[in-house]
Amino acid sequence: MAQIPNLDNAPINLISIREQSQKELINILKNEHGVELRHLSADHIQTDCTKVVYLVRSQPNLMRHICSNIHHDESKGLQREYHVYFVPRRTVVCEKVLEEEKLHNMVTIGEYPLYIVPMDEDVLSFELDLAYKECQVDGDTSSLWHIAKAIHKLEFSFGVIPNLRAKGKASVRVADILNRMQAEEPVNSSDFLNIKNGSIELDASIMGLQQEGKKTKVPLNSSDKLFKEIRDLNFEVVVQILRQKATSMKQDYTEMTTTSQSVSELKDFVKKLNSLPEITRHINLAQHLTTFTSKPSFMGQLDMEHTIVESQSYDICFDYIEELIHKQEPLTTVLRLLILFSVTNSGLPKKHFDYLRRELLHSYGFEHITTLNNLEKAGLFKKQESRSNWLTIKRALQLVVEDTDTANPNDISYVFSGYAPLSIRLIQHAIRSGWRPVEEILKLLPGPHLETKRGAFSNSPSFDSLSGVSTGIAKVPDGRRALVLVVFVGGVTFAEISALRFLCSQEGMAYDLIIATTKIVNGQTLVETFMEKLG
Amino acid sequence: MANVSVAAEWQLLYNRYYRKPELYPMRWKHVDLARHKVAGAPFGGPVAVIRDDSKIVQLHAESALRKLRLFNSAGHPLADAVWRHPGGRLIGMSWNDDLTLVCVVQDGTIYRYDLHAQLVEPNISMGKECFEQNVADCAFWGNGVVCITEQNQLFCIPDFRNPKPVPLADPMIDEPPRCIAVIEPQYTMSGNVEVLLGVADDPVVLVVEEDGVQRLGEGLLRGPLQKMVVSRDGKWLASFTHDGRLLVTTSDLTGIIIERECESSLPPEQIAWCGMDAVLLYWDDMLLMMGPDGDPVHYLYDEPIILIPECDGVRILSNTSMEFLQRVPDSTVSIFTIGSTSPAALLYDALDHFDRRSAKADENLRLIKPSLPEAVEACVDASGHEFDVSRQRTLLRAASYGQAFCSNFQRDRIQEMCKILRVLNAVRNPEIGIPLSIQQYKLLSPSVLIGRLINAHRHLLALRISEYLGMNQEVVIMHWACSKITASLSIPDATLLDILLDKLKLCKGISYAAVAAHADKNGRRKLAAMLVDHEPRSSKQVPLLLSIGEEDTALMKATESGDIDLVYLVLFHIWQKRQSLEFFGTIQARPLARDLFITYARCYKHEYLKDFFLSTGQLQDVAFLLWKESWEFVKNPMASKGSPLHGPRIKLIEKAQSLFAETKEHVFESKAAEEHAKLLRIQHELEVTTKQAIFVDSSISDTIRTCIVLGNHRAAMRVKTEFKVSEKRWYWLKVFALATIKDWVALEKFSKEKRPPIGYRPFVEACIEADEKAEAIKYIPKLADPRERAESYARIGLVKEAADAASQAKDGELLGRLKLTFAQNAAASSIFDTLRDRLSFPGAS
Repeated sequence: MAQIPNLDNAPINLISIREQSQKELINILKNEHGVELRHLSADHIQTDCTKVVYLVRSQPNLMRHICSNIHHDESKGLQREYHVYFVPRRTVVCEKVLEEEKLHNMVTIGEYPLYIVPMDEDVLSFELDLAYKECQVDGDTSSLWHIAKAIHKLEFSFGVIPNLRAKGKASVRVADILNRMQAEEPVNSSDFLNIKNGSIELDASIMGLQQEGKKTKVPLNSSDKLFKEIRDLNFEVVVQILRQKATSMKQDYTEMTTTSQSVSELKDFVKKLNSLPEITRHINLAQHLTTFTSKPSFMGQLDMEHTIVESQSYDICFDYIEELIHKQEPLTTVLRLLILFSVTNSGLPKKHFDYLRRELLHSYGFEHITTLNNLEKAGLFKKQESRSNWLTIKRALQLVVEDTDTANPNDISYVFSGYAPLSIRLIQHAIRSGWRPVEEILKLLPGPHLETKRGAFSNSPSFDSLSGVSTGIAKVPDGRRALVLVVFVGGVTFAEISALRFLCSQEGMAYDLIIATTKIVNGQTLVETFMEKLG
Repeated sequence: MANVSVAAEWQLLYNRYYRKPELYPMRWKHVDLARHKVAGAPFGGPVAVIRDDSKIVQLHAESALRKLRLFNSAGHPLADAVWRHPGGRLIGMSWNDDLTLVCVVQDGTIYRYDLHAQLVEPNISMGKECFEQNVADCAFWGNGVVCITEQNQLFCIPDFRNPKPVPLADPMIDEPPRCIAVIEPQYTMSGNVEVLLGVADDPVVLVVEEDGVQRLGEGLLRGPLQKMVVSRDGKWLASFTHDGRLLVTTSDLTGIIIERECESSLPPEQIAWCGMDAVLLYWDDMLLMMGPDGDPVHYLYDEPIILIPECDGVRILSNTSMEFLQRVPDSTVSIFTIGSTSPAALLYDALDHFDRRSAKADENLRLIKPSLPEAVEACVDASGHEFDVSRQRTLLRAASYGQAFCSNFQRDRIQEMCKILRVLNAVRNPEIGIPLSIQQYKLLSPSVLIGRLINAHRHLLALRISEYLGMNQEVVIMHWACSKITASLSIPDATLLDILLDKLKLCKGISYAAVAAHADKNGRRKLAAMLVDHEPRSSKQVPLLLSIGEEDTALMKATESGDIDLVYLVLFHIWQKRQSLEFFGTIQARPLARDLFITYARCYKHEYLKDFFLSTGQLQDVAFLLWKESWEFVKNPMASKGSPLHGPRIKLIEKAQSLFAETKEHVFESKAAEEHAKLLRIQHELEVTTKQAIFVDSSISDTIRTCIVLGNHRAAMRVKTEFKVSEKRWYWLKVFALATIKDWVALEKFSKEKRPPIGYRPFVEACIEADEKAEAIKYIPKLADPRERAESYARIGLVKEAADAASQAKDGELLGRLKLTFAQNAAASSIFDTLRDRLSFPGAS
């Protein structure tokens, strides 16, 4: 299990969360020998096992596969024992499907209450891949309840979160559900915080590589010392850093062979050598990535993203996107830009909207009508109905920063070479001063915002703690920093995480940040959740 | 001294003292135990009396109908009920563990009463045999009963919580047994009840179980037994022999422990264990207490009495009083025994001196200094055993006085005892009438005591006690609320709600839903609805709202809660209960419910979803569903086979198109569907003419490309015209298609057809991507923008040309970038440096 992230240095005890989940999983699979793992799909299970355990998210559409599996076994006269464990809980709708298929008497139903998966020492994921799309397109807000429940569970372990700030319809709803849960099943505020001491002890752990056919999986998380160092850097800088590392190593080696060394120096050197595989690996990785980042299309796209965000040259952007469509560039690439373009313009004029949609359908096929419909419902690609206030927002929040020094950043805008992610800018304000001073700006952005104090903290008399998109924690008496839990409803990108870590590392920062998200996403994966082909 | 009078009331049996304080003078009037059947419950429980119908008694100005009357231990009436049951004589009556009064009548019917003399439904039958043979006698234990019929067959109910009669083995006796006793299931090897029968003219005891009969005591007994009683722990059997002896044996009759002559050979009316070390025998007027050795103790009674065994003694009920006969506890003995010089006695004495300001107090303390903690402990312990409050107080004061001189005594011991005594004194109050001893209290446990209090509707006391002991008050308040609802039929809903809420709010986290469910069960649906509104837990509230038929409120509450599972619960409930149209109307008004319905139906109720959309006039959504269905034909090739022109599929799309056309907001979709249908037709034709199945389900652009790649330019042109493909797109498509088949001649020809509407960039890009430098060079010079020219040259590695173009563009940033592109190439680098210097653009590095 060398791959799972090391959580020893997390500001709260995430290990216990992980261990609990492990224990529950082992309980489900207890005493089972020769367990075979399969991905749930419509395909029938080919196995000699007489017992099948389904570990399945409580999404109604997934039940279809289980039903077809069992019906298939029945038709073949196979007698098996079926267990369905719902993650994170059993639901009426899923059981309804089993009932309608007359299978509910054949399966034993259980629950696997996995609400949170620690992804790194400062990142928690609810692993709700489809949350954004479900909320925006289907109107299914199950994920909001899940998020609230997960936060409430955290509160049971670490105490009531005293200050809550939320922005956006979904976040405010999460805060609302969370408060309901607190009213229904209160966390006793005297159960005090168990914030783990953030002592820094880095183990020079070297990740073992797992061979899987020809492909090698390289785990990338905080357990990898070097990765921890470079992951939050701008892509332009990474190669330089790696080059420096390699050079210094080479120099050491030269010294080693030319001059006589003491034993302890030798030891140090050998220790450094231990990190050689890491460096080699990262150089290989970085080189591989450079083949993408140095391509004209990558640069062109980055330039275009900037141009769109700058929001000064509508026609250039429009032409560029039109050309991408005509060239039949990958649809996700096109949609990413199109969404950015539509959002910053608060939609496109009807003529352009219809024209681009037609060109898309003509170029990529009519089956994408549903994707377009989804994007429209979600408000990501739509007809313009009002004037865009993007310029005002951009200016007010200083989203575009000129002359960004990507190597020695002094602002979060370094993550996108000059564009500061809006979400992180908001969090920055929330942390610094709360919502009040930026109220006027918040009103420009869609959705309501909220700021509340909750179940007061007897042990820490007065402090001004806060939260980003939701939630804040306490200032602890012994000089450690108080915690802020930043919850992203709908997903967060690595760049945003990097920006938050950058904020966290700034001098004068009073808080440790923990990030929780429905899913770690990127432009690609986020767009993909909305893609639905007819057929 | 005060001490003397205390011990003067004790009797010595062998080497132990016994005492018999009066707990209460009975408050009842005109109750003559001699005329009644009586059942007293252990643990200071209630007393049931009913006129004995096996005796001939004279009626004194009373109804001929019998009355079952219930009293507490102080003779305070609790409830009564007229006895009108058929089924013959009342054979036996006893209280079981949860204080239900169990009455067995001759025909084997068992009637049960609660503390309020309410009949507990249903009545239990001992079965057909009992009905036919008549029950002759019965014996009870905590939760069960065994009956013997007039034909000497045995039947038992092992547990009243599951009242099923079980036949026991046939004892094969002709005459009714002389006496009967039971060993409770918890003390037997088998875990089933054992019935002991003393049979006539046979010096054995028969042990009857479900699966067999054993004969015990053969050779040990010299004659039949007349009376038997098993000790509380099931280990010992006390019996009265045919020749007037008391015999104590092990309960398996393997050994005799005690054998004593009694003064009468007539069997006693009652026999009982007093604790574990004495046996009581009662004849008319005389109660005899026998110990293991020494002279028995006689108590004389000029009125009938009933013995009620307790774990630590026996309560003696007479017409006028309730006494408690118990062995005097050791601590009490050590303090009060006459002439005692035990440390505890001296401490008790010291307090007396101290109160009288005598210096002797100090002397006493000095004397016992080393054993002071024991003395304090003895005083605390003795206080616990007292029923007299002032004596409790004196003993505790003595303890507390001693404790002051004692550094290593457990501080909270006295406080704890005070707590217990306050509870005991409270329930001993004659109004409540539960005279528990401390030992009984500990055995019973506070929570059971509270349970008994609430069953007796002593809610306030129960609440105070549970509060005082730091126990959960929810049980009490919940029971109170439910009882209140049951008892308040005449109080209007709103008033009763206020009364209930006033108390329910005392207990955080109490389940309003449970109280509401009770109200509903009592036929007060409106009150239930009002109550459930106060339930904060939606997971409890919503199901209840559904069960009381408040579906719309349930849907609202579920929606507010944010818990999707609850919304689905309500959704399916309503779906099942209502007609489709009504159901559609309900959910249409509730966006969340509607969206969830659609999500579910999209997966599993496709046709029904169409009905929904049609009923709500969302034609475009029906259209989307149809359009989606049209692809099912692709997935399922069987469906489309044999139908030329993909007829059914196209029909569906056309239907979708006409539905889209119904609303003016969906002109775009309508047009798209129309084009889609047209495209499928053309693609099908193309497949027929080219005999290649590669067209259907590719996009319009792909179709054009395929045509060009196949060299079918006319077809490509036709598609272009049919779908009004713009020149711009046409150029990109054709250029790339020609590059794919490397038809550079055709490409050049195409470039010269006319001036390309989007310039020559497509040509350059296609050539570069195909890695055809020579071809690319043909078009690069034709690019209008010098920057594009520079970049294109750079991409095919022509440094000089790139540099020239860049300098024409006068773009510093571009120069910088190009220089980076050629980073490996020193010569190229220097060219760009020179150029930059010449242009003197600062900052471009």
